[in-house]
Formats: sequence, C-alpha cells, structure tokens
Amino acid sequence: MQDLTQLLRETAEDLLKRKAVGVVIGYGHTGSRGDMTAVFARTPQQVSQLALDGECYRNLAVYLNKPEVRKLGRCAIVVKGCDRRAINVLIRENQIAREDLHIIGITCEGVGDPKMQKCRFCTVHNPPDCDTVLGDPVDIEPEEGEFAAVEAFETKDIDARWNFWKEKLKDCIRCYACRQVCPLCYCKQCVVEKNIPQWVETSSHLRGNVMWNVMRAFHLTGRCIGCGECERVCPVGIPLGLLNQKLIQQVKDKFEFTSGMSADEKGPFSTFDLGLDTDDGIL
Amino acid sequence: MTDPREKLVVGAGWQEKLVDALHGDNVRVLAPVLTEGTAEFREISAAAEMATEWINTRTPVKAVLFPRTEALVEFERRPGEDVQFTAADNEAVPTVVLGARPCDLNALDVLDTVFNWDYRDKLYAERRAATTFVGVACTRSDEACFCTGMGGRADDNEGSDLFVRPMPDGGAVLEVMNERGAALAKRLDGAAPAVGTEELVPPAQVGAGPFDTEKVKEWLDTHFDDDFWTDMSLKCLGCGACSYLCPTCHCFDIVDESDWRKGQRRRNWDCCSFAQFTKHASGHNPRPEQHSRCRNRIMHKFKYFIDRFGRKACVGCGRCIRVCGAGQDLVDILAEITTAAS
Repeated sequence: MQDLTQLLRETAEDLLKRKAVGVVIGYGHTGSRGDMTAVFARTPQQVSQLALDGECYRNLAVYLNKPEVRKLGRCAIVVKGCDRRAINVLIRENQIAREDLHIIGITCEGVGDPKMQKCRFCTVHNPPDCDTVLGDPVDIEPEEGEFAAVEAFETKDIDARWNFWKEKLKDCIRCYACRQVCPLCYCKQCVVEKNIPQWVETSSHLRGNVMWNVMRAFHLTGRCIGCGECERVCPVGIPLGLLNQKLIQQVKDKFEFTSGMSADEKGPFSTFDLGLDTDDGIL
Repeated sequence: MTDPREKLVVGAGWQEKLVDALHGDNVRVLAPVLTEGTAEFREISAAAEMATEWINTRTPVKAVLFPRTEALVEFERRPGEDVQFTAADNEAVPTVVLGARPCDLNALDVLDTVFNWDYRDKLYAERRAATTFVGVACTRSDEACFCTGMGGRADDNEGSDLFVRPMPDGGAVLEVMNERGAALAKRLDGAAPAVGTEELVPPAQVGAGPFDTEKVKEWLDTHFDDDFWTDMSLKCLGCGACSYLCPTCHCFDIVDESDWRKGQRRRNWDCCSFAQFTKHASGHNPRPEQHSRCRNRIMHKFKYFIDRFGRKACVGCGRCIRVCGAGQDLVDILAEITTAAS
C-alpha cells in the first residue's frame, strides 16, 4: 500500500501546486495515537500527512457539506466505491456540482479488520467516474447476500423484533452523531431542531427516541447508500445499519432502484411522473 | 488524595454482604454491569451481577445525579377548567453507587459547583444528598485514559464517600472518607476479615499526556481569535457524543412536550457543539461556525471554568476520545496548544 500512498501524495501535490483545488480531503494517520482520520491538505507541504491503507473506513463525503470545508475552495476528495455513491446522491440532489470536485478514487477490497459488514456484499470495488483512480482494478465476489442481516433478523416474530428495537433505542442519548456523520443528512436545519412547533420530541425517552430514529431512517429512504457510518459512530451501539438496509431492500424491491449508482439517476421519492403512476391513489 | 478517617480491611465476599444489607434497608444499588462489551451503571439485585473486569462505564456517573431527560412539571387542561400544574414525580431515591471510578467522582466537584452556584438546583441537590458513592481504584486503564494529566490518579480517593482498594484475593482495603462512608462501613460489621497480607492490586499506570495545562491556560487567555481553531475544528462533525458522555459537561435544555390537553416540561442534556445551541430567537447565532463551537468546548473546560471557579472542567476519563466518530483527540489538541504556547 506504501506505493499507493506515494501516488496519492504526488497527485495531491500536483493539484495543490497548480491550484486546481484549494484542499485535498483524504485520510491520514493523525495525532499521537495514529488513528486513520480525515486530513485536509491545503498546501503542497501538507500532502505528507496523507496516507492510504486498509483503515480508510470513514466516508469523507460528509465533509463536502461543511461550510468550513467548502470555504477552502475547490475540493479534491479521496473516495472508495461506497463513498463515491454518496457523492452521486449529493450531485443528483443539487448539493454539489461535479465540476467543483476532483475525485480521487481508490479501488478497494474492503476495509477494517475484521472486514466491515458492508464490505462483505459490496459490488462497487472500483469507484466509477473519478478524475484520478489509484490502485489496481478489484474483481472479487460478494461474500454474502446484500440483505443477509435483514433476512436473518426477520426470522424473528414481530414481538421479538419490536422488543429488540425498544431495547436498543431506549439507550439513544440523542447526540445526533448518526445525523452528523451522514453525508446525505445535509439539511441546514434538521426537522428535530424545528421547534415552532416541535415536530419531533427531543427528550431521550423511548417515545422520542423511536420517533427520531425512525424518522432519520425514513428520510434516507431511496437515498442511503449503506456506507454504515451512522452505525459505526453511534456511541451506544444502536445497529442503525439494519434499519437502513431494510429500507434499501424495500426500495430495491418496489422501485428496482439502488441509490448512488449514477449522478444522473432520479430517486424514487424525488420523482414526479404522472405517466408512471398507475395507482388511483386517494384522489 | 485525602487522608481517610478510618481504614477497614475486609475479606472476599464483602460486596455481597454490603449489597444484601443495603437491599435490606430498601436502598437502590447501582453498579457497573457488563452489557454487550461495555459496562453501564444498572440497578443490581445481587453483587454477582457487578462487572469484575471493566475500565470505565460507557455513561459517566453524572447520569445518576443529572439524568439525560427528566420531567420537571406536568400540566393538564380539562374542559372548562384552568390549566392545572403539578410537580413531576421525581423524588430522589436513596441510592448507593458501587464501583464508580476516581475520574468520574472527581467530576462531581464540577457538577456540585455549577448546580449550586447562583441557583441551587433542587433536583440535583436532592439526588446528591440521597446518593452515596463507593469509588474503586482503577487496576486497568486504556490508551484513552489521561487522568494523571488532569491532576487525578488511578487510585485517587477524592470524591468518594467510601473508597475501595482491591486486593488480589477479592478482599479490599476500604477507606472511610466522611460520615456517609462511615454509615456504609457500619453495614459491613462482621464481614469476613481479610486473610493473609494486605497486599493491594497495583493501581493502573496512566500516562499524563504530552501537555501542560498551565501553559494551555496561558495560551487560551490570549488566543480567542486564532487560525488554530479553524484548523482543529475541520474534522469535527458537530455531534454531541463527546459532551453527552463527558462526566463534567452539564448543559441542559428545557422543553415542553404535550398533546393539546396535557404534557410535561422536561429537562434534557444539551451540547455546545450543536449549531442551534446558541441560536437566538432573532435568528442571530453568535457561534455560527463549527470552529467557534469547538473553541467554546476547549475554552469552557480549560479557561472559563478555571477563571470562574478555580478548577479545570476535565478529569481525563478519555470518553470523548473513545467515542468521537471523527477521531478528534482532546489530548492531541492540548498537546498542540502546549506547543504553540512554548
């Protein structure tokens, strides 16, 4: 992987030197503990902080929504296939223009040790539509079905499933780490923060927690690309990926749609086409 | 460290005896219980439920005195009547917290200070008066721990009513720190005496961290506006995990929740990392960008609290480092400030 790190640094240095971008958002082993976190290289000297290895599990696309980051100028961003899908959704939802980005794709065999669950059924090992691609093409078969976890969970009866979620959601402390880390939760003001009137209860009692977590998942229906960041950062270990994956399954089943595969796609809930509507509906 | 009033040496089985005696007195006992790879304070019915190997609980002990949500007032309007207000049912329950870590108990000093400063917070004060804390020396630590850098130590008895120094055979040396601790120790009369020597499990070795809090304070005094804040905050995603799980963070919000007839006024944890935290009714936000919010978090802990109350509002428990989804590291931030100040 060392040579890929070198290639990344050279790419970043070139982009910054010729002022093609104002910042390269990438990964680096930062701080005294050496954890792999986001690095924002703004000068050619800072590219030495950048690195690539199997610990690039974060989805850096979330930083494209931060006004503080956008202020730094045109962005180059290091993405894996899953992260690339998130950028497609941001483009299709008019949050960022493709030409404002220099996308540095890295081919990926999966991240984390042990491999993260999302990597076990990933089909986007080679990020599409990138300005620079680093790494050899990866051609590996999924280790398990995309919805294996959902299917296993649904073997439980409805009471067992509801009790499972009650037990998990009662621990939610409402820190909103799930929302903040999500590249697709970009609303300037989240509905939970709208308090005239208060639509969603902010108290972390079971009722408020169920409402928040269900609403968060619903707002990602047809949009979530399954990067799993929400579940990774949850400080109390709520398996949010399972909830997201169920909605991904439903959208695939009912609309034959998988989010983030192209920037030209139209999400099922952001499409209004009377020609496609064969239902009498309520009117 | 404070000299205890009295020391007691007890043999293995002392916890069972204590828990049984407390249950006999109808006292609620909270202790760290292992749950899915982490420890949390839970009500226990027998000492055997208590974790034996844990570094610290996921949620700090502050949640016992200052829960993440609580009702303050209930209100109801019945047809043809005025709105009726009643105090919420949140009477303090006599409680013993068994197995709190020295860092968390050190943090109670911060909470005591702030909840009794210009206004005596009734709910906090009543719970505080009804709760006895049995601290236990840490015999293990992890790489996020930095209590020694904040003036604490793995076997600091400060903040405990009764302090436990574990012995390898399950026995312990108990240090009675005050009246409340003495009352608990009495419930151990007749506990099996220790056998053999009073050799202790050695306390955990916790590194102090590559920073100097005095230098940090000096730098903060003169660097409210500095590019450092923009740089250090780029990574921060603005969630509340670090604050909510911090044993000293104490901000709260008050909300009304109701249907059109009845409801509750509740107090919930709040957090200065949230964009809306300082937003005025006018729409103006004095901390409009993440760097001003990250700066506030550092300033509050290492400058404002010292200026106002004479102590730091950090105890080095390391939770903010463990839970940060963005990999933000308070020790590194303090180290960078120390370097900038040198």
